[in-house]
Amino acid sequence: MSSRVERSTSPNRRKMLAGFRAVIALAVGLAFLFPLYIAFVTSLDTASQVFVFPPHLVPSFDFKSYIRVWQMARWAMYYGNTLFITLTTIAIALTTSILSGYALSFLEFKGRNAVFMAFLLVLMVPAEALLIPNYVILHEMSLLNTRWAQILPYGASVFGVFLLRQFFLGLPRSYWEAAKMDGASHLRFLWSVAIPLAKPVLFTISLFIFIGSWNSFQWPLIVTTSHAVQPVEVEVSRLMLAHSVDWRRLSAAGIMTTMPLVVLFLFLQRHIIRGISRGEGLQE
Amino acid sequence: MQQNPAVTVPVQKPHNQRQRHGDWKQAILLLLPMVVFVLIFTYLPAGMSLVLGLFHYHLLGVNTTFAGLTNFKDALTYPIFWTALKNTLIYAVYMVPLTIAGAIGIALLIHQKSRYYAMLRTFVLLPYITPVIATAIGWLWMFNPQYGMFNVVLRWLHLPQSQWLQSPSMAMPSVALYTLWHGLGFNVVIVLSALSSIPRHVQEAAAIDGATGWTRFRRITLPLLSPTVFFLLIITTIATLQAFSQVYALSGGTGGPAYATTTLLLLIYQTAFQDFHFSYAASMAMLLVLLILLLTLIQNWLSKRWVFYQ
Repeated sequence: MSSRVERSTSPNRRKMLAGFRAVIALAVGLAFLFPLYIAFVTSLDTASQVFVFPPHLVPSFDFKSYIRVWQMARWAMYYGNTLFITLTTIAIALTTSILSGYALSFLEFKGRNAVFMAFLLVLMVPAEALLIPNYVILHEMSLLNTRWAQILPYGASVFGVFLLRQFFLGLPRSYWEAAKMDGASHLRFLWSVAIPLAKPVLFTISLFIFIGSWNSFQWPLIVTTSHAVQPVEVEVSRLMLAHSVDWRRLSAAGIMTTMPLVVLFLFLQRHIIRGISRGEGLQE
Repeated sequence: MQQNPAVTVPVQKPHNQRQRHGDWKQAILLLLPMVVFVLIFTYLPAGMSLVLGLFHYHLLGVNTTFAGLTNFKDALTYPIFWTALKNTLIYAVYMVPLTIAGAIGIALLIHQKSRYYAMLRTFVLLPYITPVIATAIGWLWMFNPQYGMFNVVLRWLHLPQSQWLQSPSMAMPSVALYTLWHGLGFNVVIVLSALSSIPRHVQEAAAIDGATGWTRFRRITLPLLSPTVFFLLIITTIATLQAFSQVYALSGGTGGPAYATTTLLLLIYQTAFQDFHFSYAASMAMLLVLLILLLTLIQNWLSKRWVFYQ
């Protein structure tokens, strides 16, 4: 800090400003936390507490709503679907982007840049233009109303290709030259050298696909009608329409669905923040 | 190839060409999975989207027939389409500035190196990774006119209460409130990362020259942030024009009351997947795409006047 700034604001005044800032910032932060907290409190209310004035902010830890809401729907099945869809999407998207990311960096062939541009062009296609045609395509493939209908349209991650190509281009060529000397094929080199080195990148890509896939609602709502293949979010929306005044159980369902992501976030937020700063959060 | 191995080293060309040819075959194999997905689920549907609106397409039984511009004409003469367009545009007109100003404001507020502010950043970003339907429940409860938190507080402060989601004039602003809560953190993180890349010495030099806090913000921080603001402007506009899940959740899937929350994408969804008028909905989707394209081009053109690249 310069001397002039120090002269213009006395230490006392600066301390006060810092305190003022800390208080305002806390208010903003709590405002973002509050809606989750109020749902949490409501989900733990006893029956007589919900419609009471003034509202209370201390939970009473009555877990009956959770037990009741667990009995209201086949959650194990919906969670199973969500998990299957999320993990399969990650597996497919990682495979496609690793293979092409590698081809676009370690292999030399004519039209390499053209292929890369053709992939990047995907980012320019607006998502809402694809809703109806993709529905028609899945209908023609007889895949409507399956888990695959919720997976396959997300099988190609252009951000995945972009990041992996970038990463592989940064690897020293000598690694490959050395592996080739030892008689390794490209696939062998990819599997035992390139992929292990790319683990942090693969982790970030998986993380964002996970969040997008776990939270996806619009597409599952469109392509599925039978409960047996639907994810948690669709079931929650159905409960919401059917039991619109049962706030305790609805809140319990909401908290149940949100919790896994909150836990994930608290552990991995550094990766998530770094990913968003690099623009990867846009891939949903 | 009869050459002595020691001599072949400088003569790389034939070897290289064979290498290139060999790589082609392997490249095709490695690229194939990605290419298949991109072709089937992006290029093919993108092509279809251009023509689907020109036909009468039915899923079952009835043959597809050419419709010309009938679907587009029907959409443009359908009053609800204009209502949806109006809702979406008005929503964008206040959502985009609120998002950008809110993100810059909060980012400036919490752009401090300490655990305390890192914790507050966590709070602000947390809603962004939560599922929309599940967290909309808490908001529906807070918006409840009788017992909800918002009206309870307003009553306590002796301020006029609102019907929130049940009032045609307040329903869309209520959706906006939820959307800001859910998405603002994402924008804050982007502004924070831009702020931390502004070199300290620039700020300090200005302070030595006697620039006050506001002048420094106006003359230094803001111009240096302008590429980020432009980026946020583009992605927020697009996201706002595509509002769907939160509208669906907060209006119970109806787009009501009285079409007040019927956004373009919700109308397209209802037309295609509840009424099964695919081509009609596809023509609306095409109009939405054109709208987004037009706004992006205008913003891009205007950006030359105010975006400052270092």
